[in-house]
Amino acid sequence: MGLVRKAEPEPELPVVSPEDLIRQLDDPDREARRAAALGLEGVADAVEALLDRIGVEQVPAVRDAMLTTLAVHDTDRVAAGLAVHLASDDAGLRTAAAEALATMPISVPALVPRLLEDPDPDVRVMTAIVLADLPHPESLTWLAVLIKDDPHPNVVATAIDALLPSLGPEHRELLEGAVRRFPDDPFLRFTVEAALR
Amino acid sequence: MTETQPLVLVVDDAATVRMYHCTMLSEAGFRVREAANGLEAVEAALGAAFDLFVVDVNMPRMDGYTCVETLRSEVGTPAPVVMISTEERPGDADRAYAAGANLYLVKPVPPERLVRIARLFTAGRGVPA
Amino acid sequence: MIPAATALTETDFERFREYFYRRTGIQFAPSKRYFVDKRIDHCVRAAGFETFAGWFGALRLGDRPALLQELINQLTVNETYFLREDYQFDALLNAVLPRVLAARGGPGRMAGPVKILSLPCSTGEEPYSIALRLLAEWPHIDLVDVEIHGGDIDSEVLSRAAHASYGERSLQRVPKLWMSRYFNAVGAGRYQLDSSIRDAVTLHQINICDTAAMRVLHEFDVVFCRNVLIYFDELSSRRAAENLYSAMRPGAYLFLGHSESMSRISPIFKPIRLPEGIVYQRPTGAK
Repeated sequence: MGLVRKAEPEPELPVVSPEDLIRQLDDPDREARRAAALGLEGVADAVEALLDRIGVEQVPAVRDAMLTTLAVHDTDRVAAGLAVHLASDDAGLRTAAAEALATMPISVPALVPRLLEDPDPDVRVMTAIVLADLPHPESLTWLAVLIKDDPHPNVVATAIDALLPSLGPEHRELLEGAVRRFPDDPFLRFTVEAALR
Repeated sequence: MTETQPLVLVVDDAATVRMYHCTMLSEAGFRVREAANGLEAVEAALGAAFDLFVVDVNMPRMDGYTCVETLRSEVGTPAPVVMISTEERPGDADRAYAAGANLYLVKPVPPERLVRIARLFTAGRGVPA
Repeated sequence: MIPAATALTETDFERFREYFYRRTGIQFAPSKRYFVDKRIDHCVRAAGFETFAGWFGALRLGDRPALLQELINQLTVNETYFLREDYQFDALLNAVLPRVLAARGGPGRMAGPVKILSLPCSTGEEPYSIALRLLAEWPHIDLVDVEIHGGDIDSEVLSRAAHASYGERSLQRVPKLWMSRYFNAVGAGRYQLDSSIRDAVTLHQINICDTAAMRVLHEFDVVFCRNVLIYFDELSSRRAAENLYSAMRPGAYLFLGHSESMSRISPIFKPIRLPEGIVYQRPTGAK
């Protein structure tokens, strides 16, 4: 008894093939699914299988592991496959997809113009949330465009919120313009007042 | 600032709202801390005894209802909770009260009103009126 | 006095506070303003910027990770020494280990040792501090087997950990009695930890973000992962959290650094309140 050193060296871990890991994405045991999703890091052939399951996986911890693995790829295919979930009615899925997209500065920018033109204001709100954390030099420009032109006050308020850490005196006119566009929206007025303090 | 002034946790995923509420409350003499979602709020409440919670409804990771339920059932906090929703939908207020909130409001809440409500809920805890 | 060039206005400070909170989850009380200003001033100058605005713009853009790293270094105490953040070892002895023993059937009925992981372990102060406190203060150490593992990505610090000889600065919090009982003077003001303890700790060279490599670490009852996730970007910290989860038994406990918060990173752990502070638990039902 007492402090002991690990008795024998670790046995060689069996190598599980990507094909087996992809099969385990449908395992009834959630921990097996989570481990398989993590184990597929860097396996390009697993991207489609993971994307197929993002929208149907019911356990948030498993879905988060899938997103963690997918986001590393930062390819157009993954970005497009995740962006469709910005329109989801499931708030957890919507925000998890946005968090993943915000870590993909290579592929997401090409999608942004289309997302900013989406007819659904909720998609544009989620896009502003992605831009808040996307490390890309154009993020601030896109947010400014939303504040200046977007027809929906919730989108404008979210964009102002996203821009907050970067706001400077040069943005005063932009923000005051937003209030003039929506004179009857008390929440937007509140957001601008708070941001200009 | 002294340790006897009431401690308020402002919980909202919108940074502007957090900043605004925190500034208003701290100018009114409250000590404030902030959390960006329900999960962070629960963690903060496990680590410190708050006198009042101001909680948004829609947030990522853990929404306001689940947050208040968890504060009541798992953290066991008796402190008053004011929930603030962005848009009013039928049934939301009932859900908030069922979760354990003490007051349900719809944004925007003017700063004077928030401060007044915070004083009411923490009366007797040494905030200058 | 802060020179005018880098002095922060109230608005600058609020913007900075918001940025740093979003990025790291750390928030400063208004009473810390002076401390924060001084550290920021240091960072601005060290990075060669003339103004706060220029430095802050570059920091936010995020293409120079060293700026953020230096800022975090300045704003969090980041020094390793024996018995650092000792209250967490109090929590280990007083609250966590009793729960671990109870969950595993109690002393004498446990299959396998209690496993404790220190990651990253740097030059060894943390895993050896755990070993010292268990040997000197934990009554059950004679009733159960305890395996302590340390891991770090850096082979240089690991070889120093294996050698386990330390200077006075690193040892200043170690009681005299423990010094005489567990250390041997090796000259030049340095003291080497006794081989009985050195040899009992298993060291691994490992990258916490490498899922495949992390599979060698499994079934841990307690993990210390202090003051490292805060340096990672969002994807890396999430992957690290997932890997730690995989290395732990269901119901096992995770300690982070005192200014770190798991709810910034991932919702997969459950925060638990102990008298000594917050600890995170891998949920028991998730198997």
